[in-house]
Amino acid sequence: MELNRRSFIRMSGAALAASSIGALGFGASGEALAASVRPFKLTRTAETRNTCTYCSVACGILIYTLGDRAKNAKPSVVHIEGDPDHPVNRGTLCPKGAALLDVVHAPTRVKYPMHRAPGSNEFKRVSWDFALDRLATLMKQDRDANFVTRNAAGTTVNRWTTTGMLAASASSNETAFLTWKIVRSFGMVVFDNQARV
Amino acid sequence: MTGDLPRDGIGQPDPVILADPTVLFARRAERLRVLAVGHPMADWLRFLSLIADAQQRACASPLSPWPGSAEPVTAGNQTLDGPPLPAETIRPDATFDTIVANLVTVAADPMMPEPARSILSDLTGLDVHAVADGWLTGTLSSEYAGHAVPIAAALQVWFARRAAALDVGTVHLLPQRGLCPVCASAPVAGLITAKGKTPGARYLHCGLCATAWNFVRASCTGCGESKGLALQEVEGGSGAVKAETCDVCHGYAKMFYQAKDMAIEPLADDLGSLGLDLMISDAGWSRLAPNPLLLAAR
Repeated sequence: MELNRRSFIRMSGAALAASSIGALGFGASGEALAASVRPFKLTRTAETRNTCTYCSVACGILIYTLGDRAKNAKPSVVHIEGDPDHPVNRGTLCPKGAALLDVVHAPTRVKYPMHRAPGSNEFKRVSWDFALDRLATLMKQDRDANFVTRNAAGTTVNRWTTTGMLAASASSNETAFLTWKIVRSFGMVVFDNQARV
Repeated sequence: MTGDLPRDGIGQPDPVILADPTVLFARRAERLRVLAVGHPMADWLRFLSLIADAQQRACASPLSPWPGSAEPVTAGNQTLDGPPLPAETIRPDATFDTIVANLVTVAADPMMPEPARSILSDLTGLDVHAVADGWLTGTLSSEYAGHAVPIAAALQVWFARRAAALDVGTVHLLPQRGLCPVCASAPVAGLITAKGKTPGARYLHCGLCATAWNFVRASCTGCGESKGLALQEVEGGSGAVKAETCDVCHGYAKMFYQAKDMAIEPLADDLGSLGLDLMISDAGWSRLAPNPLLLAAR
């Protein structure tokens, strides 16, 4: 039996009594401690690194989610703060970023594709298939009607200037690459990829 | 948050902060006394506060020059990126005996339990350098479990003073970020700062030389993984102390949140929050490294 200052240890009331505490004559306090925590439970919060979704500055954030990942318990985001280790913002956030938690829990937050038909005054939940088909149809109509193949001087330009696209700031490199490939292959020029950092 | 708010934006966190041995142990003693009030382990914490007082007194003795060299760090027992005072190989000089003699005086306290009194008095006749060597290499027999406390306390004084004499600019983080950049010991706990140059930055605190070093948040201090990391605390707690548990290496380390309690002293607060360790151990995680003042035989 050796004393090791490096090893992993499991602590218990009995282990405390058998440790330095017991050897010095304070063994009873280890048992008192064990008794004092018995009525209590633990709460578990996951800490996740992420990127603020608002703008192209792409500040690092830390998201705290309460819940023990049990099947019947729904995890809930309880706190969001600036990531002090992120080189862009070093823990700071703008007022919009600082209010991210309210966005997560906002009753008006858009969680599914919503559609307001022409002439209607309300949004209705629609399927992704419907939303994507509708977008594709409208984009094609607009592109067919407004695509510019040549400029005034007769030079080939292949521009589509009447539809624009804004991508997300939290995109990965790969997502940004694919976004560029798709958007530019349409000839679309009004485009902000946001991921500049 | 008053006078120390950054004016020119927030810079990078200092990688290494050396302890100040002129106040380190006195602050620790004060904190232990505060924590002892109404605590189930009040007697033990009060005993440790007396040890910390003696540690502070030992810091008043003159620091002897490093034998044979004006520059202790370049003593030749380190590689280019190695720590300047590796606890595995560096051994205290004769000033160690003076430090131990300071700790022996704690035995005179009228409220000292008999086993503690006899163990402290024993130190005078003991080869303390041999016990210290056993403590540092992890080969100390468990019959010295009691002696290990004053010996560890004396080593803390010796290493903290030697560390404080280093030029912080020459100390670099180790490739194993979870180990102390000065002595390569494991951290006793982490502190998530709320003041200073970079509030919010996490610093791990060495249990031996009291050096603090920056460690990225939301990653396991033992294995570096971010997946399966959770912060666990006692339900209804103040949020000042949490155990960061890792489902990859099944280890945990305690984290203290300065924003919730400005008076936190990592080593003292670690000893004052052992109840959380009991609960986390019971739930199946192992503590990555023990507190130097509380070693258990394995």
